[in-house]
Amino acid sequence: MTNTSASPRDLNLPPQPKHISQSEKHVRKIRDIFTSTLSHGVIIFVGMFFAIPFLWMLLTAFKSDQDVFHSPPRWLPYDNVRVEVNGEKLPLYNVRVEDGTIKELAAVKIVEGVGTFVDPANPDEILTYKLQQGKERIAEAIMEVSFRWQNFPDAMNRGSRPGVGASFWVYFRNSLIVAFFTIIGTLVSNTPVAYAFARLKFPGRDLLFMLILATMMLPFQVTMIPIYLLFNDYLGWGDTFLPLIIPAFFANAWDVFLLRQFFKTIPEEMCDAARVDGASEWQIFTQIVLPLSTPVLATVTVFTFLYAWNDFTGPLLFLHSPRNFTMALGLQDFQGQKTIIWNQLMAAATVFTVPIIIAFFFAQKTFIQGIKLTGSKE
Amino acid sequence: MDDLNSTNRKLPFGIKLPAKVVWTKRTKSDLRTGLLFLSPWLIGFFAFTLYPMVVCFFFSFNNYKTKRAPARIGLQNYRDLLVDEKFWIALNNTMYMVIIAVPLGLFASFLCAILLNLKVRGQAFYRVVYFLPSIVPTVAGTILFLWLLNPQVGLVNTLLDRIGIDGPNWMADPNWSKPALILLGMWGMGGTIIIYLSGLQDVPQSLLEAAELDGANWFQRLWHITIPMVSPITLFNLITGMIGMFQYFAQAYVVGGGDNLGRPLDSTLFYSVYLYQNAFLFLKMGYASAMAWILFIIILIFTLLLLKVSDRFTYYAG
Repeated sequence: MTNTSASPRDLNLPPQPKHISQSEKHVRKIRDIFTSTLSHGVIIFVGMFFAIPFLWMLLTAFKSDQDVFHSPPRWLPYDNVRVEVNGEKLPLYNVRVEDGTIKELAAVKIVEGVGTFVDPANPDEILTYKLQQGKERIAEAIMEVSFRWQNFPDAMNRGSRPGVGASFWVYFRNSLIVAFFTIIGTLVSNTPVAYAFARLKFPGRDLLFMLILATMMLPFQVTMIPIYLLFNDYLGWGDTFLPLIIPAFFANAWDVFLLRQFFKTIPEEMCDAARVDGASEWQIFTQIVLPLSTPVLATVTVFTFLYAWNDFTGPLLFLHSPRNFTMALGLQDFQGQKTIIWNQLMAAATVFTVPIIIAFFFAQKTFIQGIKLTGSKE
Repeated sequence: MDDLNSTNRKLPFGIKLPAKVVWTKRTKSDLRTGLLFLSPWLIGFFAFTLYPMVVCFFFSFNNYKTKRAPARIGLQNYRDLLVDEKFWIALNNTMYMVIIAVPLGLFASFLCAILLNLKVRGQAFYRVVYFLPSIVPTVAGTILFLWLLNPQVGLVNTLLDRIGIDGPNWMADPNWSKPALILLGMWGMGGTIIIYLSGLQDVPQSLLEAAELDGANWFQRLWHITIPMVSPITLFNLITGMIGMFQYFAQAYVVGGGDNLGRPLDSTLFYSVYLYQNAFLFLKMGYASAMAWILFIIILIFTLLLLKVSDRFTYYAG
């Protein structure tokens, strides 16, 4: 551990004078407060770089259509204060009326800078004012902080482009389906392979392990075109989830590596004892090793979910019709439109992100452990 | 690190070359069991790695276009690539990211890890804040940055404006689009920070204390103990980061809006983007295959070079 604060080292380490003078104690205390404040300051300053974009996504998702483009941008979402007049919810305006006083009036409609207003107290009388007269503003909308939850159903119920006949709900469901089967395939296929590399002794094992590690270096682009032609043209799996799911059933270097690292930590004696009792390797694997491996299986599950949920290139290559889009593809398609509806886009992005955040808070340890396992060498 | 009977030089990541095999009935049955356990991967390796690799290699000598019989054209694809201006632009853009973004990201991650390792109250909370962006899906994160870095109404330029800086046009300016993407990458580097953090926690406290007793200051301890101790992590992250960066695609695709790949002015036309364009938009599959193999060879050279150079700079404990 790197220790920058002065206090622990001064307290922990030897040649300590027997008596610390009162003034020296004060100096030390001031220095502690100073380093602690400095540490907090730097951590928070750098932390803003991570936190602000994230918060901005959430805040934008709650803004009304006009508020998104408010200049200069405001942190919190604002919306019109509305009153009910004759069964309709109308936005309130501060209007400077003829005698110079300012009245709160409800706007019925605003056409080309001319507003038709009614007095909420006297809704039968129709008043007409220009919003702006020369440089002077006559009518000003009354705003309040208000989170527009409606953006979420609006975003989810729409398609990525007009008239696609599929909504973000469909994309969401598709993403879930792909992620689910990818997880199943990954768990089923990687565990036996990792077990063989971790525990079985057979000629050629280490060479094969080097080979599987070497495949990490292989860029996807080298296999992409033949695999595309195989799945899309030869097997006719274009525009289905199969090309995204099936390869997961054939193991991959990263998960094998991660699982192997864990399997190696399971005491060899337990397996040996079972071997003496005549258990086959398959029995040892399924009845001893796998039940002891729930933490790492959880890690693989979480990371596979993350990967499948996040994957963009695979769906881009194989999924063509919008009813088969995943969230990643749908979101990209939505963003690629001529006019971008930022609040709904951010709402959809939030919905896309939230399952992962939830997973993270439920399985924080699992996440961190997995990252450490993949990041460590040996 | 058990059987040390092999006298081979130690390879990176603790990989050892295998010892010689004596074939007995036992080893044969072991082999059978082993291969059975490995079968998911072996089948996958042949079907989804080796076979496509070979086919891709074969394609690269063809003028393969979908729905048309391929014709052998020898090295023509490779010769065309050498004089293809866009190929060099794409390679250049990618090298920019590999050489600048990857080391910069590692350096920043290491600094962040040091910050998060400081003993302050609320440490766990800070760690979550630094980490969270890294699990935001790539497409969502890229779109968010397009919004944040919007030249007119984006938050970043507004804030810059407030302190008197005229913000750049970011993703709309060919000189600023790559730095913008680097910022996006650094925003999501939480995973690397966590890896470094666990590395920092593994640095033996006794070493640091001993150095301190000998009068080494904080910076000297960092330079002579901490950085060497985490050097294997640096190497690992450098290699995986570089391999990933050579394949940089989704972010650039989103920035290009799909039908405007590489915008502005080909400044985000990365190698993989141009490859995708050739394969699936221009349907020049043979040409794209040649690009893919060149990419593979570049990655291979870079990785081996890094491993070779790192021998002198990497410290393996034990």
